[in-house]
Amino acid sequence: MKYIVIIGCGKTGRNLALEFATSHNVVVIDRNKTALDSLGEDFNGKKVLGDALDTQVLENAGIKEADALVIVTGNDNLNIVIGKVAKKMYKVKKVALQVYELAKKKIFSEEGLIIVNRTYLLVEVFKKCIL
Amino acid sequence: MYIVIAGGGRLGSLLAKKLKEDKHNVCLIDKSLKVCQKLAEEIKDALVINGDASDPEVLKQGKTEKADVVVGATPADEDNIIICHLAKEMFKVRRTVARINNPKHLAFYKYMGVDAPIDSTSIIARIVEEEASFSDVMNLLSIKKGRLSIVRVDIPQESPIINKKVKEIKLPPNSVLISIIRETEIIIPRGDTEVLADDEVIAATLIDNEKDLINSLIGKI
Repeated sequence: MKYIVIIGCGKTGRNLALEFATSHNVVVIDRNKTALDSLGEDFNGKKVLGDALDTQVLENAGIKEADALVIVTGNDNLNIVIGKVAKKMYKVKKVALQVYELAKKKIFSEEGLIIVNRTYLLVEVFKKCIL
Repeated sequence: MYIVIAGGGRLGSLLAKKLKEDKHNVCLIDKSLKVCQKLAEEIKDALVINGDASDPEVLKQGKTEKADVVVGATPADEDNIIICHLAKEMFKVRRTVARINNPKHLAFYKYMGVDAPIDSTSIIARIVEEEASFSDVMNLLSIKKGRLSIVRVDIPQESPIINKKVKEIKLPPNSVLISIIRETEIIIPRGDTEVLADDEVIAATLIDNEKDLINSLIGKI
């Protein structure tokens, strides 16, 4: 059982949260209440309404105890800044985040910071399908 | 100097104009084409680039590797932080300055290595607080990151130092009287200068001794 913090409750964040919540402790942060409500009544994790670029909000979500952090806000720069700070300041063991710009994946990749890029993944998948 | 400014809003454009007046070279980057067209018309011989300054290619177009200073003046804190971070890490810019839009985001600026994050909201709040108070004391300037302050004190009739000589005034440690303003006259205080009612005293002190200094000048608080 792991303690997982998810930042951003869009399509990706929501589906990850619902799946993780079946076997882990999950906290979801979003600045939009409607997004958090979309998790539904049955969601058994914790919901934190607030701005993740605020250390107080991250600490309320228990970032200090988190085993893993997933950042999927839909804003590349926001994801990168939160990810780097979470790793450096709070020493979260596993930090994974999404970026849309492929160039930024290369620039900001570092040890312990997993950067997921849709284009990169698709290219890899298509390569495997065809070759 | 060569200064790259990201964000051509009110702050970015005003800053660019001021820097041009002081004969610096300026590059302005803004995401909006409309804003860029206006800036190009208003600010003569500044390089204006339409693009996202958090994209390294755009920073390269702005010759950021040659910049002495990069300023993050966009309305999004995450953008300002990334721009300054790229400027330092990829382009080896020596000094990065940014406007903090939301004071709660300050910790992130610090952790990401922005040299001078400027919290305009808190600065303005402090000025408004001082202007709104009825106190006879005004903090004119804080230097050395707020450890040293220069204050202006109106000397009231009931002050314990009225008609006393400067050498008879007991000041707290690390404090000094810089100047006495009497009507339109500016007096550099010496040991035998006397303080009169309605004088304005300008003094410098370490921030920890500010209250003691004001106590010794006006005898309250």
